[in-house]
Amino acid sequence: MTSSYYESTARARIAGLLDANSFHEWLPAAERVTSPHLATLEQPAAFDDGVVVGKGSIAGKKIFIAAQEGGFMGGAVGEVHGAKIVGMLERAVRDQPAAVLLLLETGGVRLQEANAGLIAVSEVMRAILSARAAGVPVIVAIGGQYGCFGGMGIAARCATAIIISEEGRLGLSGPEVIETARGVEEYDSRDRALVWRTVGGKHRYLLGECDTIVPDSMEAFRNAIIASIENGDDWSLQALEREQQLLGDRLQRFGDCRDSRDIWRKLGWPDPDAIAMMDNDEFVAAAQKRCAKQTIKAP
Amino acid sequence: MIYPAEKIWDHDRQRRNRKLERAASAMGGTLRDKVVSSEMAVQLLESVIEPGDRVCLEGNNQKQADFLAQALTRVDPAKVNKLHMLQSVLALPEHLDLYESGIAEQVDFSFSGPQGGRLARMVGKGQIRIGAIHTYLELFSRYFIDLTPHVALVAAQSADAQGNLYTGPNTEDTPAIIEATAFKNGIVIAQVNEMVDKVPRVDIPGDWVNFVIPSPRPHYIEPLFTRDPAQISEIQVLMAMMAIKGIYAGYGVQRLNHGIGFDTAAIELLLPTYAESLGLKGKICSHWALNPHPAMIPAIEAGFVKSIHSFGSELGMENYIAARPDVFFTGPDGTMRSNRAFSQAAGHYACDMFIGSTLQIDMEGNSSTATLDRISGFGGASNMGADAAGRRHASPGWLKAGEQRRIHNPGIPRGRKLVVQMVETFREHMHPAFVPRLDAWKLAEFANMPIPPVMIYGDDVTHILTEEGIANLLLCANAEEREQAIRGVAGYTEMGLGRDLRMVENLRDRGVIQRAEDLGIDKRDATRDLLAARSVKDLVRASGGLYQPPVRFRNW
Repeated sequence: MTSSYYESTARARIAGLLDANSFHEWLPAAERVTSPHLATLEQPAAFDDGVVVGKGSIAGKKIFIAAQEGGFMGGAVGEVHGAKIVGMLERAVRDQPAAVLLLLETGGVRLQEANAGLIAVSEVMRAILSARAAGVPVIVAIGGQYGCFGGMGIAARCATAIIISEEGRLGLSGPEVIETARGVEEYDSRDRALVWRTVGGKHRYLLGECDTIVPDSMEAFRNAIIASIENGDDWSLQALEREQQLLGDRLQRFGDCRDSRDIWRKLGWPDPDAIAMMDNDEFVAAAQKRCAKQTIKAP
Repeated sequence: MIYPAEKIWDHDRQRRNRKLERAASAMGGTLRDKVVSSEMAVQLLESVIEPGDRVCLEGNNQKQADFLAQALTRVDPAKVNKLHMLQSVLALPEHLDLYESGIAEQVDFSFSGPQGGRLARMVGKGQIRIGAIHTYLELFSRYFIDLTPHVALVAAQSADAQGNLYTGPNTEDTPAIIEATAFKNGIVIAQVNEMVDKVPRVDIPGDWVNFVIPSPRPHYIEPLFTRDPAQISEIQVLMAMMAIKGIYAGYGVQRLNHGIGFDTAAIELLLPTYAESLGLKGKICSHWALNPHPAMIPAIEAGFVKSIHSFGSELGMENYIAARPDVFFTGPDGTMRSNRAFSQAAGHYACDMFIGSTLQIDMEGNSSTATLDRISGFGGASNMGADAAGRRHASPGWLKAGEQRRIHNPGIPRGRKLVVQMVETFREHMHPAFVPRLDAWKLAEFANMPIPPVMIYGDDVTHILTEEGIANLLLCANAEEREQAIRGVAGYTEMGLGRDLRMVENLRDRGVIQRAEDLGIDKRDATRDLLAARSVKDLVRASGGLYQPPVRFRNW
């Protein structure tokens, strides 16, 4: 088994992050709860519908967890897939685990399931907020090959904290979608350097959208998850107002930037092109003073 | 003795001089020394190319004389027609457009890459006549015998007004083409990316070049040899482990050439980890005929590699190569000097092993990349992957292979090159790699070829390596054993399932077939964590930031 989070399957991630032998799966593949919509379209199904949900422990703390499998339809959310995540989150409201972990790897709604998929994603968002309102922090990890896009990108931002790796990507419309809609002149999805500096982990971290950035290893993700659980969840009006201010401030400062490098320059990075090659520790140290969150004046 | 009166011995030179006079008058005042403006390119071609001329258009896997290729499609077919084209690679759409307009009618080439499908359709419709499909060395050789170009259209990085050319790291085929053309009454035209007062180094002397044209845009270069380590599978890691332990270590292979696929990239990335752990540093893989594969960076940095001579360069590797002159061949200006003809000859005569992948292998061990709907050609693998019967110098691996062969084929002592075909039993879309009959037969029939296009002949292959094990064909006593040895590593393909179980077990007992466990390899150890780099970024890191990959290979 590889130590890379990026290269692992959903099940390998659960095995690599949680305490050994602590995981218990709900609706495992053996129960074969598959998508009725894909069957209608004569498309291949996955016996877990591309998501693994269950309970376990991490550093001894009881948690609930959902892990999306990018290898099945790019982690796209269908009706069953979404319902499994929602059911797990609703159970968290009742059973009060120390946290819910969402290992997201998804292109968003499963297009074949149309409205059922759209509704599923909105139900996930509501369930995340319900869990937080009930005092259960929801921690998102993003570091898989397919990134976290579409409605699930919004769902991720509803969570308590996001942990991302440099390889991870977070956004609304994916690169190919933007290119198709706006033309290659606007966004060349094959220019992978452009893609990563727009939606990649480092940029999301600098914009203040992700709380922690880690190197691509199971151990680094695990440690960051443990730390996030300990940080708890600040769900106060004050915290929400701070977030609001950050977003307003960001729009004002960077609204006219054409490229993320322009933003980085405004954030005080003397050589934005050097950011891409920095290793994680070096980047995090340098980012302490050059991150959008730093631009907010204390209230 | 009677001497023929007034026999003329310089027809060809006179013809060249007439062409040059026509060109001078067509260019009029626009010609400065040897420099022709890009707007005049079509007129220049019309004045120096006559109907029926043999025209060599440069372009290989990497560098393309693409501006001149486009200019040639724009000449007036009433003035320039029925050309006989000579090309290493038919790579660009323009290369085939020439036949639709009648500008050209025949081609002798070596490889067709992305145009293979269209070429097959055009051959089917009778639009294009293929003289022959060659290996690179074969085609270059014919330039000096019976296919000498009348006009050569080449590409270089820069030129001065006297026509001295600087090819930069992608020298590739240029010297071979120009040598044949310039010294046999031909005309050489070079497109260049820039004009300079003084070239950084003289790759081609100016008096071998007739005209230079500053191209409106730099010539196209394809990064063909970059393999993203992220896409290497654990099966490929397992096969690489078997290759290293079963073949590289077994024969002490020091001088070699690798194919360009992910299978061999996995071997390159296992040298500093797995091979090092077996104590093989210094004992294998020190001298190479190879393009500068980015996947070689960790092995170079780990001190495995003493020398690499290259056919061409690879985009993004320029600064790394320039900083490692002990390893790569570099000019006084610091940049690499590649040369396809020399590197192909080196790969054939001075290497102990070739290892590469293929699409289909039959039960005689013949392998081919031909499919019915594509005419892809040969390139270099056929020369690399052939025993060099003309070789006379000995080396330990070469001698050992020769000894193994003589067990069942007695004769005077001589060595044998190792030719290894490395394939997974099933390719993508579950196409079996092992087949009863190569698609090459059907293609030969369809395209009216004299013989089926076989990339590597079975009698040149010494080992077939799959995820099921290694078949050592040198140790087979007869054709029947050979077939069973091949079937024995063909896994669950139809050919594999048709094996004679008892014979295969007997071959395994004799070490003709070796499975992973016979080599002491635990399949559970075959993980991607063994790769010295698991991403392109790891390669950049290993190079100390010197390797600058094209943006399409980044995920950061």
